[in-house]
Amino acid sequence: MADKPKVAIYWMTACGGCDEAIVDLNEVILTVADAVDIVLWPVALDFKYESIRKMEKGEIALSILNGSIRNSEQEEMAKVLREKSQIVLAFGACACFGGTPGMANFRSKEDIFDWVYKDAPTVVNPNNNRPQPEITVNGNTLTLPRFYERVYPVDDIIAVDYYLPGCPPPPDLIANAIFAVLEDKLPPRGATLAPGKPLCDMCPRNTSKPTRLEISEFKRVHEIEADDDLCFLAQGILCFGPATRSGCGETCIRVNTPCRGCFGPVDGVDDGGAKFISSLASLISAESEDDARRAIDGIPDLAGYCYRFTLPSSSLKRTT
Amino acid sequence: MKDFTPKLICFSCKFGWGYLNGEGWNGTIHNLIPVTCSGQVDTTHVIDAFREGADGVLILGCSDKECHFQTGNYQARKRVFLLHKTLEKFGIEPGRLRIELGLDPDGSRIPVIMEEMKETIKDLGPLLPTV
Repeated sequence: MADKPKVAIYWMTACGGCDEAIVDLNEVILTVADAVDIVLWPVALDFKYESIRKMEKGEIALSILNGSIRNSEQEEMAKVLREKSQIVLAFGACACFGGTPGMANFRSKEDIFDWVYKDAPTVVNPNNNRPQPEITVNGNTLTLPRFYERVYPVDDIIAVDYYLPGCPPPPDLIANAIFAVLEDKLPPRGATLAPGKPLCDMCPRNTSKPTRLEISEFKRVHEIEADDDLCFLAQGILCFGPATRSGCGETCIRVNTPCRGCFGPVDGVDDGGAKFISSLASLISAESEDDARRAIDGIPDLAGYCYRFTLPSSSLKRTT
Repeated sequence: MKDFTPKLICFSCKFGWGYLNGEGWNGTIHNLIPVTCSGQVDTTHVIDAFREGADGVLILGCSDKECHFQTGNYQARKRVFLLHKTLEKFGIEPGRLRIELGLDPDGSRIPVIMEEMKETIKDLGPLLPTV
């Protein structure tokens, strides 16, 4: 037991889907469980933070962090795990880029608290109570983690060695990543453990894409019955494939759903949303100003669409 | 906000604007970036300009049907419209990004348009970094 490499799995601002994805390794997880000693996995096993704090520097071989960082407890644990780990893997879209919870960065903390504790129609809060980081009750001090002004991707807070994007990452890439660590076959630090090419290159519908895409009117998936063999963009449906890293196994495309971009930008691109806007502009068929405006006005919440998974790490919102 | 002088970046197509007047390109206009086509101005250039502290970005492209590369000016215009919709969510008002398609060989209108845009931006105030 003592000789096995130690692995910590930790969740922060996450939905639990990333932990679920690790369980979805199915029988492979038995091999993993035999090969490593799991020392922390809050969603599945009962370990205490204190035992991690008592560890030596670098005692943990691999820390798999999923979720973005929005409060002081998450920041503290991320820093503890960084100190105790030889390798930190940012696991899933939230850890890598901020993810869906990162869209909260379009609003201020005050806006969010106002809605959650006052304005939402289902809220009854006549005394306008708000969570306090510290409060004294009967002489005892109770504390809560501090809720930050914004959501951070993990690498804004600690150094990250490898990235594995996805919402959640697919089992084959998870297994590859874990065995690469165990067998010491990792690429240079800083690498993303997924292919560098865009999804369109791998898409089963790529051959149905016309040489020149010309979209004059955008449609949403519920507005038409999408052809299940034809390129989504050729049908006027927004698909993030041109600006998204491949490696997901095209699971959404195979169930007739366009790509949403959970694998983040391709190699060499920092701001996938901005690049998508550039490529989208060239697909819109409109030479007159009015036609261009009409087509573009047909896209609801373009910013939310372009930065669905990457807002905290976008050029305009990044803090580092 | 009286003392506020907006920082304006201007990307200007060399085929349509100021090509007869070398002075226009050589430092008399501050923050003017000549490009070979307005279609060359990528969304990332615009976003980087705002990130680096610009209060406004102006793109000058060739007039209707006059793009040397056929449709570069239209591509730029579509990008600007898409960016207007996107940047508003980041707290960057549409008035801070403008595209002007036209023909101005001696470039005399360039400073006029830039001043005009600076006035609009003065009303909007400096672009503050968002959270």
